[in-house]
Amino acid sequence: MVTLVEELVLLAIEDDGSVAYTAGAPGFGMALIGAALVELNQLGRVDADTVALRVLSKEPTSQPALDRVLAELAAQEELPIDQAVRALFIHAPEVVRLALAALAARGILHAEEKRFLWVLKSRRYPITDGREQKEAKLRIMHSLLGDELPTPHDSALIGLAAAGGLLEAFLSTAEIARLEKRLEDIGGLDLIARGVESAIQDENAERAKAAMLPPY
Amino acid sequence: MNTENVDGITVALPSGRLDFGAAAAFQQQLEQAVAAKPRGLVVDCSSLDYVSSAGLRVFLVAARAAKAGSVGFAVSSLKPAVKEVFDLTGFGNVITLCADRAAAVAALA
Repeated sequence: MVTLVEELVLLAIEDDGSVAYTAGAPGFGMALIGAALVELNQLGRVDADTVALRVLSKEPTSQPALDRVLAELAAQEELPIDQAVRALFIHAPEVVRLALAALAARGILHAEEKRFLWVLKSRRYPITDGREQKEAKLRIMHSLLGDELPTPHDSALIGLAAAGGLLEAFLSTAEIARLEKRLEDIGGLDLIARGVESAIQDENAERAKAAMLPPY
Repeated sequence: MNTENVDGITVALPSGRLDFGAAAAFQQQLEQAVAAKPRGLVVDCSSLDYVSSAGLRVFLVAARAAKAGSVGFAVSSLKPAVKEVFDLTGFGNVITLCADRAAAVAALA
């Protein structure tokens, strides 16, 4: 069983094992935080409404990536979903590291360290047989191209993958544009995923604004 | 949760708060209602004051179950606080939302 966080990480892994998106990029990083929050919600550790994201229980889930997000969330003040996601964003690299370790421990991928010019290290995570990654892509395509309602898990996966820019890994820009209405309809059904989308938009708008300011 | 039968259509009447703590029981009740194969299932939310992200998920699960069982599904009478959640997530784009129970029953008749 692959978790929502792990599915997003798998979608970000290229054929050569490199991770296509850095967890420091707002889209990918916040989508991962959102995936952890959706799973914590399903496990009864948090719940959310239009006012706030609330911790219901600090009991560990036995999934290190989720427990890390839960611990950080419990340590901060209660915030609306989008603000909580932005506050937790700095922990996204650790969530990626823990998810990759969990996937490696189950043999779904393995870590490989390579050296470039004998000095510079790069780490890759080749996927063992690609079954889990393929399955996630197929479920996304099935939901996008069909007219059935997605499961709550798949709705969150689609919403978060779209918000995090992960659909571009296997869909062309033209295909994404063609599926825009369906994406909007079925990818936004999860309240937390909606909050993530809003958080990414706000973060990108702030960064764009900051980039336009003179450096003094 | 109370239920009523209106011309072969089951009308479910959740009340109070639908949060994580109430979601599992609500889901089970809606799934049982669908399994009984009524002509349709209307969730009348006129007494529902609050819905959280966990509660909202139940409506998606129930709508999927209804569609899979060829049972018509509609939600009606959303109070403003609940309607805000439905509007924000665009549920109205994928399930039938009606202003009141009569309209929902008529939509499924």
